[in-house]
Amino acid sequence: MNSMTEGFLKAFSLIYNLDQELLGIILLSLKVSGAALIISSIIGVPAGAVIGLKKFPGRGFIITLLNTFMGLPPVVVGLFVYLLLSRSGPLGFMGLLYTPSAMVAAQIILALPIVASLCHSAIVAVDPIIGQASITLGATPYQKAVAIIKEARYGILSSVIAGFGRVMAEVGAILIVGGNIAGYTRVMTTTIALETDKGNFELALALGVILLIISLIINIALHLIQRKGMAGTIR
Amino acid sequence: MKKTVLIIILFLVAAILSEVNASSDKEIICASTTSTENSGLFGHILPIFEKKTGIKVKVVARGTGAAIEMGKRGDADVAFVHAKELELKAVEEGFFVNRHEVMYNDFVIIGPTNDPAKIKGIKSTIEAFKKIAGSASFVSRGDNSGTNNMELSIWKKTGIVPKGQEWYLEVGQGMEKTQRIANEKRAYTLTDRGTWLATKDKDNLDMVIVLEGDPTLFNQYAVMAVNPEKHTHVKYKEAMEFVNWLISKEGQQAIGSFKDKNGNQLFIPNAK
Amino acid sequence: MNLQLRASNITKSYHGDRVLKNTSYSFNKSGVYVLTGPNGSGKSTFLRICALLEEPDSGEISFLSDGKLLMNDIAMRRRITLLLPKIGVFNTSVFKNVAYGLKIRGHKSDGIKEKVDKALDFVGLSHKKYQKAITLSSGETQRLGIARALVIDPEILFLDEPTASIDQKNTKIIEDIIIRIKREERVVVVTTHDMAQAERLADFMVIMKEGKINEP
Ligand SMILES: Nc1ncnc2c1ncn2[C@@H]1O[C@H](COP(=O)(O)OP(=O)(O)OP(=O)(O)O)[C@@H](O)[C@H]1O
Ligand SMILES: [Mg+2]
Repeated sequence: MNSMTEGFLKAFSLIYNLDQELLGIILLSLKVSGAALIISSIIGVPAGAVIGLKKFPGRGFIITLLNTFMGLPPVVVGLFVYLLLSRSGPLGFMGLLYTPSAMVAAQIILALPIVASLCHSAIVAVDPIIGQASITLGATPYQKAVAIIKEARYGILSSVIAGFGRVMAEVGAILIVGGNIAGYTRVMTTTIALETDKGNFELALALGVILLIISLIINIALHLIQRKGMAGTIR
Repeated sequence: MKKTVLIIILFLVAAILSEVNASSDKEIICASTTSTENSGLFGHILPIFEKKTGIKVKVVARGTGAAIEMGKRGDADVAFVHAKELELKAVEEGFFVNRHEVMYNDFVIIGPTNDPAKIKGIKSTIEAFKKIAGSASFVSRGDNSGTNNMELSIWKKTGIVPKGQEWYLEVGQGMEKTQRIANEKRAYTLTDRGTWLATKDKDNLDMVIVLEGDPTLFNQYAVMAVNPEKHTHVKYKEAMEFVNWLISKEGQQAIGSFKDKNGNQLFIPNAK
Repeated sequence: MNLQLRASNITKSYHGDRVLKNTSYSFNKSGVYVLTGPNGSGKSTFLRICALLEEPDSGEISFLSDGKLLMNDIAMRRRITLLLPKIGVFNTSVFKNVAYGLKIRGHKSDGIKEKVDKALDFVGLSHKKYQKAITLSSGETQRLGIARALVIDPEILFLDEPTASIDQKNTKIIEDIIIRIKREERVVVVTTHDMAQAERLADFMVIMKEGKINEP
């Protein structure tokens, strides 16, 4: 219990005296996870939309596949990306192993199934009457799809939030492909793992608290956008 | 409008990626072990090396086996590890060149303060292990780390097969956690002096060193460069600058001057 | 001449149940057609097929203008509209709901604003312009549906039970709207179970029984 309170106290003093190294770690976390999330969303949302809107052979299989990948342990993804990017692997010539790009790649693999699958669910949950209404008002098939996607926008946003949660909290994959190199590929979660390993529980816990606060801020912001969707008046 | 937003977002991602990946040409990747990195040694010596040569050393810490494997696969330029047999084998296979011994630290056997197995006074590690077997519990890291390998090689010499025995606990954890578990279980364990010194007070361990100083327990660290004939992309020149610096007078001094936060010297430089 | 719709020999089955049985009818003249008939007789199905929302199993929907047969393409489809019993409110503002039909037709935002304001004024929803459409009452929702349909100035307008589950006051408002939207060159088709209402509105009465239309 003592180290708990100490951890919290240390967290606040760390935030208060934010040093350059810690700031770098926090920013790198946000940049890596942010880039991974944006790319996952740019691919995952349209993919989820297509799966949700179109009937095509193999659709059910793809959904099952996505759901399976959603639960994939990050370490397995990390190992897979490692073997891919290793100098002795098929993509080794790119020299990407132990770079932030490799971490982004691993996190895309982790976030993409979540974004696509939850986005698909959000679109399937839209009342079919919405599509019919758009058709009666003169929509083309494409415009109808857009209307349905817009209707699912808060659900889609949730899928992105879920993807963000997965990558921000993830440590197994980026540890393997990033190497946790100080000042280069060391992010919040890998620092937490390292400090825990070293027995610096207070520091690890403090970083955990900072991670929590960042997640909280981002989730509150996204929640506010969602709430706007439920509110009485909009302009 | 929407297209512009998309383009801006993509531009942003590209900017982030190019920024975070920005790296100077003069840098090498050094494969090392978790315990070495956790000791804080690199934080002490690398800035000195970088200041002198302008070469940035990026340390990737793994278990001993994985660290050597990294070099074999060409994912590192240099390896800084402590598993003599594995090192020599990898050199023999042609994966590494220019292996040099750099420094050592030593292992000690620790046990409950009241020493239930009466190990104190014994000089031979093998005898001590034989005596612990059966008369007290022993906690093993069980994680294929350098320490774990050292422990297993000692068991081998005793002729005892500890695996599966009631008194033998494999925990699969790092050194500090293993010590804490041994403390809870009133058991003995093999630890490195650095971890022991750094953590015994902090973790309130009710334990003492029961055996030390046996040459069997010395842990030799060595550095070796990845063979550029196996992997043409490696930065052999920079790697060799690092190797040569480590064994130079200056590098050796840097290692010797490294103290943990309690002021203890953890590594004894011994390059020839 | 107004746009004419000819439904010929329409059949439609759902899971083997024949709902429309070789049904034919032509909406030739402008005016209000009231379609009545028992529950489940196939009125809504007929309207959905006429409005090109659904394909018949057999038979044909054709549109004629000045005696010439038109292609059933998107341009044609955009000259007609159907107000569904559940109108399908988009989860956005009242304004944007009404603007939708104009937006997808590529209208400029100035023109959209003007037309939407006019349509909202017409159905008495101007004061709800920025409200979230899903928070409207049933009566208001129904009027929103009419505004959304009217704003695109359809030549044929199908209204499927526009006053079901609506109180008397709102029913009166909607009936007034229907009477006011009557004009030369517009066909309005309304389904209802309220016979008094049918009499108040109808220029033409159409009765459907068991998937067949009998002209009285
Ligand atoms: N999508 C559908 N799937 C299956 N059956 C349907 C479907 N649409 C309509 N039906 C069936 O077709 C028959 C006619 O339905 P329809 O809605 O056209 O009747 P209606 O005349 O509009 O009735 P009401 O006066 O109750 O609105 C009903 O038996 C209904 O169950
Ligand atoms: Mg009906």
